[in-house]
Amino acid sequence: MDLNNPKTAQAGTLESMDCVVTITGPEKNGVIEITGSASARFETVMKKVINETLDGLGAREPVRVHVQDNGAMDIVLGARVEAAYKRYIGEFTR
Amino acid sequence: MERNAVNREIPSRIDGYGSTDGRLFEGAFARKPSGYRAGAKIRAAIPNGSSKLSGSVKEAVMASGLKSGMTISFHHHLRNGDYIVNSVIQACSELGIGDLTIFPTALFDVHKAIIPHIKSGVVSRIMGSDNGAIGRLVSEGGLDSPVVLRSHGGRPRAVISGDVHIDVAFIAAPMVDRMGNISGRSGKSACGSIGYAFTDAQYADVVVAVTDNLHGYPISPISIPGIYVDLIAETESIGDPAGIVSGTTRVTRDPMRLLIAKYASRLIESSPYFMDGISFQTGAGGIPLAVTAFMKEAMKRRDIRGSFGLGGITGFFVDLMKEGLLQKLLDVQSFDLDAVSSIESDPNHIEISADWYANPWNCGAAVNMLDIVVLGATEVDVNFNANVNTEADGMLLHGIGGHQDTAAGAKLSIIAQPLLRGRIPCVVDRVHTITTPGEVIDAVVTEFGVTINPRRKDLLNAWSDFTYARDIPLVSIDELAERAGRMSGPMEPIRAADRVVAVVEWRDGTVIDTVRQLEK
Amino acid sequence: MRRTMLYLPGNNPNMLLRGHLFEPDGLVIDLEDAVSASEKDSARILVREALRRGEFGKCEVTVRINATDTPHWRDDIAVVVSCGISGVRAPKVDNAQTVRDIDEEISAVEEKSGVPQGSTKIFCLLESALGVWNALDIAKASPRVTAILPGGEDLAADLRTNRSKDGVELEWIRRMIIVAARAAGVDALDTIFPRVNDDDGLRKEAGFVKQLGYDGKSVIHPNQIPIIHEVYAPTEKEIETARRIVEAASAAALRGLGAVSLDGRMIDAPVIKRAEYTLKRAGLDCPKEG
Repeated sequence: MDLNNPKTAQAGTLESMDCVVTITGPEKNGVIEITGSASARFETVMKKVINETLDGLGAREPVRVHVQDNGAMDIVLGARVEAAYKRYIGEFTR
Repeated sequence: MERNAVNREIPSRIDGYGSTDGRLFEGAFARKPSGYRAGAKIRAAIPNGSSKLSGSVKEAVMASGLKSGMTISFHHHLRNGDYIVNSVIQACSELGIGDLTIFPTALFDVHKAIIPHIKSGVVSRIMGSDNGAIGRLVSEGGLDSPVVLRSHGGRPRAVISGDVHIDVAFIAAPMVDRMGNISGRSGKSACGSIGYAFTDAQYADVVVAVTDNLHGYPISPISIPGIYVDLIAETESIGDPAGIVSGTTRVTRDPMRLLIAKYASRLIESSPYFMDGISFQTGAGGIPLAVTAFMKEAMKRRDIRGSFGLGGITGFFVDLMKEGLLQKLLDVQSFDLDAVSSIESDPNHIEISADWYANPWNCGAAVNMLDIVVLGATEVDVNFNANVNTEADGMLLHGIGGHQDTAAGAKLSIIAQPLLRGRIPCVVDRVHTITTPGEVIDAVVTEFGVTINPRRKDLLNAWSDFTYARDIPLVSIDELAERAGRMSGPMEPIRAADRVVAVVEWRDGTVIDTVRQLEK
Repeated sequence: MRRTMLYLPGNNPNMLLRGHLFEPDGLVIDLEDAVSASEKDSARILVREALRRGEFGKCEVTVRINATDTPHWRDDIAVVVSCGISGVRAPKVDNAQTVRDIDEEISAVEEKSGVPQGSTKIFCLLESALGVWNALDIAKASPRVTAILPGGEDLAADLRTNRSKDGVELEWIRRMIIVAARAAGVDALDTIFPRVNDDDGLRKEAGFVKQLGYDGKSVIHPNQIPIIHEVYAPTEKEIETARRIVEAASAAALRGLGAVSLDGRMIDAPVIKRAEYTLKRAGLDCPKEG
């Protein structure tokens, strides 16, 4: 874990029913921050989706996940977290 | 704590509101009036009209005899362009008058200028709708006494029955003559109808007309006669025209709204009320306005002529009348420039007061003649109870408007809404606040189809016989709630404290629900 | 029925999740022009999730993949075909070989992911003069081909012209493609109508392609759907005639008669098929099927 060499990757948009997921790392401890319209009533379920998605991708290194939400459903949130994480670990050649 | 007829727990005593004993909601039409109307102080003007001119707003406040602890009222025809609420409160602050109860028909975002005066104690209590920033302040516990929310019909009922006594009414007046005769129809701050101000003028002890457009005696036509008006204050401008009325109201092109509007229009067309003489109210919202556009097409296709359009009037309604699809417009509030110019020139475009429009305790409220109303709501529950006051996060952000009155009066009341706003479901098991009980809501229309209250078997039968309904899904309210819940996922409860920050009155003055303070 | 096939931008959750509510006959989830090069990766994940877990009502679900001259098309096929979709809309198909390449790629993915062999159809967009000229070969290049479609903007550019209001530049191409489609036994679907606020223009164009024999049009805005469905709706008289033909045919079949006649006129198989299609467009069940 190289804490002195942070990386950032992002996926998603601020259109209605979408969200922008920003992943920064490595961190000492995993952090999830959610802001936006639905966060007051859906924080727990959103955190669950984020953690499950990262686990499903075999993420081991702790990261900071920031979600700026504009009404994303679980399907969309999961897809954006996956895209951001894959960009973060450089899986995509772009 | 007692439970009312919609199963809400209401404290037996609410600090700053009083005892709720005998004032619990019992059913939409349960409570009957008794006794006599309240009245205002009798007074006479000196036989020389010029004495009503009292100078500036501040001088008029002084002349009115306003004292600390009194109740003052305002109307909201100038909407988000209004300067008068802010300038009267500012004048009171400068004159050292405090502990005021303000009794507006509604407050808008522009009135956030009074927030410092709430904090300093000039205003201690608000009885009226709070849209925007002031609603947020109320939700966070920023006022000592709870806000009292009343419908457009419930408010004049409260005044006439004596629940609320107005000490001084300040009436923003786009056109006034030297005797205090008032009209909203012309002038640089013209707003069309001034229907919300009538009852205040009749029942306040002192009435102050505030104008930027003073004429010689008499003007015509007159909306509120000068026989009720004590004082006239003059100011540079009573409002910002850009915030008073909107330009031409256009029908949305948003496909989701159009889809919902089409479904709602088909429901109306399937009902037994879709015949010559039909009357309706749709307001100015995106979906309701689009419903009107689809209804126009259906009325032409089936050669139906309507009788009247009611409520807040837009240019779209004016066009319906010009095309002969409606005979009359009954206008309590003119929303756009076309409506303002129509009410000024067309005798079939009739100005009505809020009392006349919607008061449950008079002998001729227009809502009782209404066939159809199309409404919105932030939430509806599986018992068809509707919430229009609080947002998904529990914040008080909207007034009742005519929601309760039109739903209770109309033969077919429809809530037309997307099932989800972003992720937030609009059909739920339990609404956070009950504004309007399900016993007066007949149908909910969403992008997933038409949902008819099972109590309305007649509408269900009419729908199943209707050819154009063939392609439109009929879904039950339970299915809708289940689908919304499945799509959005489980919601966490709103974290609210026990303290009551707003009392939601049903139009008859009983308590239908309360709004609790939000935890920080 | 493919009267209307609505394009949904592949990176737009709102439209992906709600497009079916407007009840087009089909959906075309777009990974090509609607998604910028830097968002192809993210859009592909979103589309995959929508295909696996989203709802699409009664719509036929297809995906427009990127062209075979880009680095994206194999990834597109790998992801979307494994989700089990009705078909792939392939852009810039110039010759039969392109179709065979796509067919081969789809077959491999179907095999690997357990999707029934041959279930994924191909819709070929002919977006060059060469593609249009090869229309019949393309339509017959694989049993997966289910429709051919003229391109719009790209085709106009290849012809060294642009799209006009009356569409004169596409007139002959539309005629050629319908003939090729029918000769190969596949559907002919028309290009999009780009002016989303011109309802009368759309009505006119849809009426024209319907008369040519087209099975439907691609759609870029939900508000265009009811207009096209209205154009394609059979008249009361057509419905009545169709109903009588279908009834006479099924009555004859019950009595074991080969030849059918109605009002003294012989009715053969194509007439019956046509009548059944008319009833289907009118939203009525055929007694034969029921």
